[in-house]
Parts: sequence; structure tokens; C-alpha cells
Amino acid sequence: MASGKAVDAVYRVKIPEAAKKLRELFYCAHYIHSHLAHFYALAGPDFVVGPDADPAKRNILGVVEKVGLEIGGAVIKNRAYAQKIQEMIGGKATHPVCNLPGGVSKALSEEERKKIEEMGRSFLEISKFSLQLVDDLILANKTYKELITGNTYRHETYYMGTVDENNNLNFYEGDVRVVNQHGKEYAKFNPKDYLNHIGEHVEPWSYLKFPYLKNVGWKGLIDGADSGIYRVNSLARLNATEGLPTPLAQKAYEKMFEVLGEKPAHATLAFHWARIVELMYASERLLELASDPKITSKEIRALPTATPTEGVGCVEAPRGTLFHHYWTDEEGMVTKVNLIVATGHNNGPICMSVKKAAQSLIKKFQVKEGLLNMVEMAFRAYDPCFACATHTLPGQMPLEVRIYDSQKNLFQRLKR
Amino acid sequence: MKTLLLGLGNPILRDDGVGIKVAREVDRRVDSSWIEVTEACTAGLDLLELIQGYTKVVLIDSIQVKGRRPGEIFLLDLNDLKTTIRLTSPHDVNLATAMELGRKLGLPLPQEIKIYAIQVEDMFTFDEDCSPTVKRAISEIAEKIIQEEGWGEERSPEPMPVAE
Repeated sequence: MASGKAVDAVYRVKIPEAAKKLRELFYCAHYIHSHLAHFYALAGPDFVVGPDADPAKRNILGVVEKVGLEIGGAVIKNRAYAQKIQEMIGGKATHPVCNLPGGVSKALSEEERKKIEEMGRSFLEISKFSLQLVDDLILANKTYKELITGNTYRHETYYMGTVDENNNLNFYEGDVRVVNQHGKEYAKFNPKDYLNHIGEHVEPWSYLKFPYLKNVGWKGLIDGADSGIYRVNSLARLNATEGLPTPLAQKAYEKMFEVLGEKPAHATLAFHWARIVELMYASERLLELASDPKITSKEIRALPTATPTEGVGCVEAPRGTLFHHYWTDEEGMVTKVNLIVATGHNNGPICMSVKKAAQSLIKKFQVKEGLLNMVEMAFRAYDPCFACATHTLPGQMPLEVRIYDSQKNLFQRLKR
Repeated sequence: MKTLLLGLGNPILRDDGVGIKVAREVDRRVDSSWIEVTEACTAGLDLLELIQGYTKVVLIDSIQVKGRRPGEIFLLDLNDLKTTIRLTSPHDVNLATAMELGRKLGLPLPQEIKIYAIQVEDMFTFDEDCSPTVKRAISEIAEKIIQEEGWGEERSPEPMPVAE
């Protein structure tokens, strides 16, 4: 989606209203698909089944055992619906092919619109259930609640997200807003000006760069007002907004911050909760768009006529703010590209969260059981997918933790 | 009911896309009125959605096994992957886990799943082509699969599909 928007910008073309609605509709379905998988299959096991449960039960099968077969089936069904909608609009659910400079390639038929509307009602139900699940299984459990709200992965950082003209959440377009550790607006900018605000630090030990707020400065992997470290993704987005534009999501948003007791909320594991609040927003917004009769308009593309030059496209990907910046020659052939991808923004914070996990579980040369899972939980809050960027069999997630003493001698190695 | 031949992988990550390329080659050689050939860059729960409603599913994917030659082919079934439910990250939904979930939920899953895994060399470089050794093996691998499945015979080894 960011790529499609960057190409619009390269050709300086404004897309028709129906094209914008179709893209946003597609994107809501993408969020629903992604957030359902992240919560139920990849992160939920920590909370629904429990962080200390038998590892053999800490998977989606354990989640289904706990929530029941009917709900398990509903999760699978709604994920499939979300895929179907992406396929209807995008041609393919994964790696869609619908975006063209100036709009989209295919209009939505009335029959398709009705089907999506029906699926939208189903999304609302699974979102309601998921919010209830957070209440019943997680918040009602003292240990889990402490785990989410406790200090284990707390970082007081800046937060970034995309907002509309009312500073409300928007996944598809708007200004990028950054708030400080106390929720005060630190910066608000048009995405095309991202280079004035974001710098990228390089460390020799990581192939990922470390984005930071340029005007605060790079001070290392530390939080606080003097460090340019900021976070993106679900909780960061909700921290950076002043509200959600749909009623049930707004209610869930208010409740979340009330329970967390602060806004911005700094508890890293609350990213999972924020994901469920966003699931509700995506469901409500999808239904709004699918119920809009104008979405079936045949005016879905403005043919670009300008000579292509340079353009920036930006969206809120499920894992955070995503920038695509292309430079082209006069024929539109790309000559240079710069991308800042969602999890890239969180590279520094992920390292900080892993460090906190290590500090809390390694004391006086004793490495506590559960270190591997606690390390995994640290980065899973931001992104569960580091391990599955490629899909070779048997699909296992390799994880190795090396513990060094103060003289940098290898003290212990844990591996799975 | 049909057989699904599913090529898996990422087609722009050199050898990671070998499953897709072999599936295309098999499709080119076999009269596939009773075999549906498709490709996907996905795993786990998404696969669960793709394979529903078929009698038999044949997957082709890449694999990396220590000490084996690039282009070697292994025939696996779900039992070969079962250990990954218990022994790896509890958060990685692999095919075996997804299948177990699907069965619990009573989804219409295939009676038979076969997995052809191809030893690869490099799956981290952006490239639409496979590495030379793996690329050279594609034709032979496709032929082996056709022979193993009996798809080279004049008649289908399975009953022709009946209209639903």
C-alpha cells in the first residue's frame, strides 16, 4: 500500500474517491487478518494459556482448548474472510496487484460489496469477543495483569503514529504525529518530510539500522526525553492519537488507557491489547466503507499525465509506520529507493526490551528458567515474524541466547 | 474432488522459490484437468485455508538439511514435521499444528498430504532465479515427482472428479 501511494506521488496524481475507499477497505481487511493471527496464534498463547504453562500447550491448540472449539473456528473463519476480501479487491490476498498510479485496477461490484458487508458483521462479532477475552482471561487474572502493566518491559519512549485532521487514528493516510513520554505532541509532519525528522543510526553488530528522532538525537539504546528512541505499532499508534473515529473502538480505547492508568502507556506487553482495540476499529471502519454505496463507483483511476520524478508513500502497516520513497527518471524507471519499514523503527526498543528481560532473569550467575520465552515475548510484542521471513521446512524458530561475563567471556549458551 | 499441487516459497528469494518453479514445471508437463496447481508464499494457517476441500494435497517446498547436496529431493509426510509442534517455538504455527487445529475444528481437510522438500543452497539473496545447481535440478525433480505420483501415466491414477 505504501508502494502504491509512493507511485501516486511520483506521478503527482490524485486518486478518485472510490479508489481511496477501496484501498482503505482492503487495508482494514489486511489489519483484521494480521491482528487475528498475531493475537490468537502467535502472542495470545502467552496470555490465554499462560506464560508459565507447559510449552506443549503454549500454542494455538492450547488457545483453542481454553477458549473452545467454536471460537477457534470463528478465528479461522474470520481470517479466511479477511483473506477473501483482500483477494476480491487486490487480485491476490498476499502480494496484491490492484494498485496502479492514480488508483486501482478493478471496481467493486454490488454483489461483492454485499458479501463484504456481510463478512464485516462477522468481524464485529469476533472483535467484540476478543475484547471480552482480554477482560475475562487476562485482566481478571492478577498474574497476567501484573505481567502486562508491570515493569518487565516498560520503556518511556516517544511514540509515532498516523492521524487524521482531528488527531484521530488513520491507517491509510494523514500526518505523522509524534508524542513525548508525557503524551504531549512533539512533532507533526507530512510524511513526505520524514527525512527532516527521522535519522538512522548504524551499529556494526546489526544489519538492521536504528531509526531515531533526528532533532532529539541518538543517545544509544536508552529511553527518556533526551533519547531519540521512539516506538511504532499498535500501542504507539494509540498513544499518538487523541481518539478513534468509530464508537466501539473508542470505548475500548478509553477503557484500555483507564486500566493501564496512564496515557501514553509505556507497558510493552500492552501492544497486544492495543492490537485488539485496533481489531475493533478495523472491523467498524471496514463495515462503514462496505456500506457506502459510493464504493462501487466505476471511477477508480485518474490517469497520470505528469512526468514522474520523486515521491513518498506512507501508511500505518500493522507493525507500524511504513515509508516508501522512490526517485525515478523521466520514464518512471526507479533510480533510487529508501524504505523505513515498520519493525525497523522498533529495532532499538526491541533490543532494550530483550535487555530488560535478561536483566530480570539473570542474577548472580544464575540463569532462570524461562529466559528463552521471556526474550521471545520481548520481541513478539512488536513483531512475531522475524523467524518466518522465509518459509523453509520444517519452519522452526531458531533462538540462541549467549550470556557473557563482564570480561566478555562466554558464560552460558541456551539454545532451541 | 481434486488433487492440489501447491508450490511454496518466495519467488524473489533465490532458492526459496524452488517449490514454485518445480510446481510450474510439473504443471507444464502434466495434463492437469484433475490436478489443480497453485503457488503460495505463505505458511501455517493460510495453508489451512488453501488445502480445504481437496482429497489429496502435494506440497513442494525448500528445505535445508546439514550435509546434503543442493537439488536433492526428500519425500516427507506430516509425521515427519510433527516434532515441530513440540520441540520448537510454541508460537510458530507450522503445517502440522495447523492441520491438527483444522482436524479439531472439523474442517474438510485432505485425506492425504505429501511433501516434497528440495535441498537448497541460498535463500537469502534477492533473485528471481534459483542458484545454478538448484536450477539445473528442477527438470529432474519435476520428473521424479510425476513418476512418484503416477501422473505420467495416460490415465489418471485417481478416479475422475464427480460433479458436485
